[in-house]
Amino acid sequence: MSLLDSSTKPGVTMAKNRRTRVIAVLMAFVGFFTLFVFGLGSGARSHAGLTFDPVNLANAPVQLGSVTMPVRWTDVIVGLIIIAASAEVFIRQPRRGVMARFGGVAILFLVALLLWAVRNPGPSFVSSVNITSILVASSATVMVLVFGALSGVMCERSGVVNIAIEGQFIGGAFLGSMIASTTHNFFYAAFGGVLIGGLIGLVLAFFSLRYRSDQIIVGVVLVTMLGGLSSYLNLQVLTPFPNFNTGNLAANLPLPGLSKIPILGPVLFNQSGFFYAMIILVGVVSFALFKTRYGLHVRAVGEHPHAAASVGIDVIRVRYINVVLGGAIAGLGGVAFMATQGQFQVGYTSGYGYIALAALIFGRWRPSGAVVACIIFGLSVYLSYDLSTYQVPVSGYILAMFPYLITIAVVAGLIGRVRPPAADGQPYQRD
Amino acid sequence: MSDVATKSRTTLWTRYTSSSPVVVTLYALILGLAFGALVIIVTTPAVLDAWRGLFDSWGAFPHALNATFNYVGAGYRAMFTGSVVDPQGFWHSLTTGKGWPNTLTPLSETLTYASPLVIVSIGVGIAFQTGLFNIGANGQAVIGGIAGTAFGSMLHMPTALHLPLTLLAGIAGGMLCGALPGILKAYTGAHEVIVTLMFNYVTYAFLLFCVLSTPLQQPGQSNDISRTMDPSAILAPLFGTKSGLRVSYGIFVSAAVVLFAWWLLNRSSLGFDFRVTGANPSAAKASGINARKVVVVSFLVSGGLAGLAGVVQVASTTHYIDGNFLIGNAGIGFTAITVALLGRNKPMGIVWASLLFAALGVGGRNMQATTGIPLDLATVIQSAIVLFVATPVLVKEIFHLRNVDTVGLNLATTGWGT
Amino acid sequence: MRLELRRITKRFGALTANDQISLIVEPGQIHSLLGENGAGKSTLMNVLFGLLRQDEGEILINDVVTSIADSGEAVRHGLGMVHQHFMLVPVFTVTENVVLGFEPTKSLDRVDYTKATEDIRRLSRQFNLEVDPNAIIENLPVGIQQRVEIIKALSHDAELLILDEPTAVLTPQEIDALMEVMRSLAAAGKSILFITHKLKEVKAVADVITVIRHGRVVGTAEPTASESELASLMVGREVNLTVEKSPYEPGDEVLEIRDLVVLDDRGLIAVNGVSLDVRAGEVLALAGVQGNGQTEFVEALVGMRSVLSGTITLHGRDITHLTPRKKLDAGIGHIPEDRQRDGLVLTMSVADNLVLNTPRRAPFASRGTRNLAAVNENAEHLVKDFDVRTSSIQSPTSALSGGNQQKVIVARELSRSLEFLVASQPTRGLDVGSIEYVHSQIIEHRNHGNGSLIVSSELDEVLALGDRIAVMFEGQICGIVDPSTSRESIGLLMAGHALEVSDV
Repeated sequence: MSLLDSSTKPGVTMAKNRRTRVIAVLMAFVGFFTLFVFGLGSGARSHAGLTFDPVNLANAPVQLGSVTMPVRWTDVIVGLIIIAASAEVFIRQPRRGVMARFGGVAILFLVALLLWAVRNPGPSFVSSVNITSILVASSATVMVLVFGALSGVMCERSGVVNIAIEGQFIGGAFLGSMIASTTHNFFYAAFGGVLIGGLIGLVLAFFSLRYRSDQIIVGVVLVTMLGGLSSYLNLQVLTPFPNFNTGNLAANLPLPGLSKIPILGPVLFNQSGFFYAMIILVGVVSFALFKTRYGLHVRAVGEHPHAAASVGIDVIRVRYINVVLGGAIAGLGGVAFMATQGQFQVGYTSGYGYIALAALIFGRWRPSGAVVACIIFGLSVYLSYDLSTYQVPVSGYILAMFPYLITIAVVAGLIGRVRPPAADGQPYQRD
Repeated sequence: MSDVATKSRTTLWTRYTSSSPVVVTLYALILGLAFGALVIIVTTPAVLDAWRGLFDSWGAFPHALNATFNYVGAGYRAMFTGSVVDPQGFWHSLTTGKGWPNTLTPLSETLTYASPLVIVSIGVGIAFQTGLFNIGANGQAVIGGIAGTAFGSMLHMPTALHLPLTLLAGIAGGMLCGALPGILKAYTGAHEVIVTLMFNYVTYAFLLFCVLSTPLQQPGQSNDISRTMDPSAILAPLFGTKSGLRVSYGIFVSAAVVLFAWWLLNRSSLGFDFRVTGANPSAAKASGINARKVVVVSFLVSGGLAGLAGVVQVASTTHYIDGNFLIGNAGIGFTAITVALLGRNKPMGIVWASLLFAALGVGGRNMQATTGIPLDLATVIQSAIVLFVATPVLVKEIFHLRNVDTVGLNLATTGWGT
Repeated sequence: MRLELRRITKRFGALTANDQISLIVEPGQIHSLLGENGAGKSTLMNVLFGLLRQDEGEILINDVVTSIADSGEAVRHGLGMVHQHFMLVPVFTVTENVVLGFEPTKSLDRVDYTKATEDIRRLSRQFNLEVDPNAIIENLPVGIQQRVEIIKALSHDAELLILDEPTAVLTPQEIDALMEVMRSLAAAGKSILFITHKLKEVKAVADVITVIRHGRVVGTAEPTASESELASLMVGREVNLTVEKSPYEPGDEVLEIRDLVVLDDRGLIAVNGVSLDVRAGEVLALAGVQGNGQTEFVEALVGMRSVLSGTITLHGRDITHLTPRKKLDAGIGHIPEDRQRDGLVLTMSVADNLVLNTPRRAPFASRGTRNLAAVNENAEHLVKDFDVRTSSIQSPTSALSGGNQQKVIVARELSRSLEFLVASQPTRGLDVGSIEYVHSQIIEHRNHGNGSLIVSSELDEVLALGDRIAVMFEGQICGIVDPSTSRESIGLLMAGHALEVSDV
């Protein structure tokens, strides 16, 4: 009889999901926009060039030259593809992969947008788009976002929400800049960033775990405090003593041979040490979380802390460790960001910490998924600046809203469809 | 039943956590100021040098203390005289009957600053009581300010009509802004924290857009400055412009908001629905409350109040907005969060907390002008106070709750889940 | 192992939860700890398992005084606990759950899942507890999940297994299977401490019975003792195990449910075409093991969950898709399964909770403004009429005991004029006195000629209250019988067997 076999429970039909329909409608809107504004809105003869040669790396062994695309027809086709995808989502209501499709649509939209922006004849004086350059230029933002998302993974997988990532970025950037300016050594700077990020994480952990304060509130208060502190210190220390904040661009370390691979070579293999560190970190965190004993404990604590406690795991200790480590990673991200900008400026992390959280949700609390989301978000952030130089007939300020609006759309579409770690954000109390 | 209670660290801490909220706030204020003092010490070269002298000889100790007291004392004294009153000036006015406007200016400034802060903080507090985090209050205030400025400067009509409608325009702007996270949360369960945080950045860009690329920009200017509101749309100073006292009719608006909030939360059925939803959304649903309606309406109220605060801010002070309106972490929308927490989300508590934080802000301005210590220190102190307060007291207040299964206890405070 | 608890005492402030409790479990013995809800069983187990520290007394394992600082130590000493609410991570596999905390590792701290799986299969064979190591816990039926809990304890080399109310979520047949497992474990030399408040189970499997009441041991008994003897020991007085009921004279149909289909949170079908009628003056008891769709069924009835298809009709009026508000206004009363989550706002006062369903109805409010005087007056009346023990009507309901909290809900629902009452697990977690009270209120409601639906997984309650008994299994009604039906037959129904004509 069924008592002895451990078959799964019966379950058959699915529900029509209102949220899926909303996403489908959103996708359709994007598709129609692409079709009419980008596609049919371009002149019949307009064309745009796509080049792949990196700007600052001459004598690549393979010159790919450039490809010229007819803008109108390309964008029309892209628009139709998007509309078709939205119809598929609306009608078929697939249970999985809806957001993956949405991500794909986002990428297609960005491509169509780019082509339209640089079309010739058109208002822009630029008539070709250098894919590699764009990827390289946006890699700084992507890198910061990945650090933030990794921090989020570490913290939330153990059950603690870390809203203070933004503050850890600020702290890391500030301290890192001071150290780099005085010692000219990025290792020390990195160390400083790790330290301050970890310290902020410790404060968050202390209030959340010892006193069971609401984690979101503590996080917001911490970010406010750190923002104020950084403004204060900027005026009090950095301005009167500019030698604490000289330009420090971390030099790139091109990997020989690899960096000359066409298109992606310069993007992936001609970067600063921080970038390579980020890639290694993604691998390390993934491995640790899903393959090791430590990771099993962490995930257990994040899903069902009482079950973990019942086998002798110290829930509070695991959470402390993870939140501090997560903070350290975010602090390192702050230093990394500073290293790409050269010096510290108040407010230049402009919300990246929160976008990183959205990327985390998009990536279903897995490092690999979060990285993909960071790439999409990072591209959109970069493009919103870049496009304003193409003299696109949309105000630069409106374009600046773009990445944040995308984040909102993603978050709105995802919540409820994805399952965070079950104990995420809930204070743990032994009873 | 847990053993945590029996493992308290020191009796000092136990006494601290079991005191009444007012006492705790007082302690927290002292601790916050101490923390601020520490920051000043560590970042002022003159004081640091004095302390470094200790390495040479212990005899340098009095000198170090002296330097510390002088510097920190000067800063905090400036804070006090800039926000409350200068005792010397007060004595002078009392004895000679002259110079009152000067003496009363600090208080007037504090009240001016506090007036919009009360309004937006009450809005945030109402959202908190419903279990919602309106972290976007700053953005809503910005939009309210934009709407109000536009209405007040680009339309012309007599005061009796213009002023109320301008305020209404601000409320409408804030409501529109608040509707978005409200609707998203109600119908898709999207967590309002990220949505509102992101939206703040959208509003900053929108603000720049408005004051640089639209008719709202001051004609003939290429800077990011808007038109000036008509005199018929502003909240005039109570004692007239000649007195130099800026405190305006805005405080009556604030008082009205406080009364409204008290009635809403304690006497109205809608407020009852808000509080039940905030305390236990499951039970709210089971007892017939329409959660969607409550979430949307709560956000509308909260956003509307934030918008009102924005327009009151403009109408009672500068009468125009620029690209830096409410920017950054010092924007009243963010201060409102800490104020609401300090005031335990209750109208009267928020009034006191607003006055305190307004005093810190205004005093901080004077501190910067007098001693050069940057104004941002005030933000740091405010956050520190909240951290010192929010934790023990919150824990005590919600201790009953935490013994219960917390699943579904709060719409927002259990991570990202709905 | 030989476990001895010697004069264990544990206090929480003024409350003494365990008072000089002593008992001995011999190797290979099934020792049952019998006591009603609130007697102190859970506290004792928490002390034993290292979650709490006893104030006085000693724990002796194999005659050696042992101190147990935390669960890890308890496990290391050979104690294994199968919790009432499973300590299993829902999204993990069986293997991950079993090895958690005791993982075999390879290089680089990697978990050796191959070895782990082997060990699990070995234990499965040895103790006849079949499980699929790669199955994900949340997809497994409850009985299998419990098996995983047992394997987990055994994999930690437990010599003494503590089973804390293990049968709350099992069908009678699964309970029998569990008892077989217990017997075979005991035969293999393991000791078993079996905690329960169910008299029949204790008599079926225990070698020795220790009865505790109000934190004290009030006696030991043999399994040959009669149920009423055991019940008296448990409760301290003559217990009336049945409730007075007036003769069953059903009136017209009040509630009619046709082909109801409802989905659960994951989009799977929980209620699969249920049809039921309830008449006036009748209690229809819905029996069944928890997790067969009853929760979703009740939620659909009261409007907290949407109905996919089918109809619910109240006095001929279609109320299928009405919101909870409209259902309440239509006269549906609801005593929820989870009173603290769905029935009360713990931080709010007793007075506010007593009008939680109808805060806008006159006289409690008019035109948007509440009438606090009326609310308070109402609270005074109800607290008196329903004997709610509270220091003030303004006290938060969190200060009330479980029984009194339930009384608040009962008072609130039964003081309205109801067309129909839905009560779900109405006496869960209550002491005997409160159970008697709630049952009497429900019967009185029925005696006045009203209709109600009581959902319960306690067979005794179902048999005591129901005029007709419907049994739910996997989302369907597999039989409607009268209370004279044998427990075995009802048990078969609860396990999904259709009844033969001869079974009734």
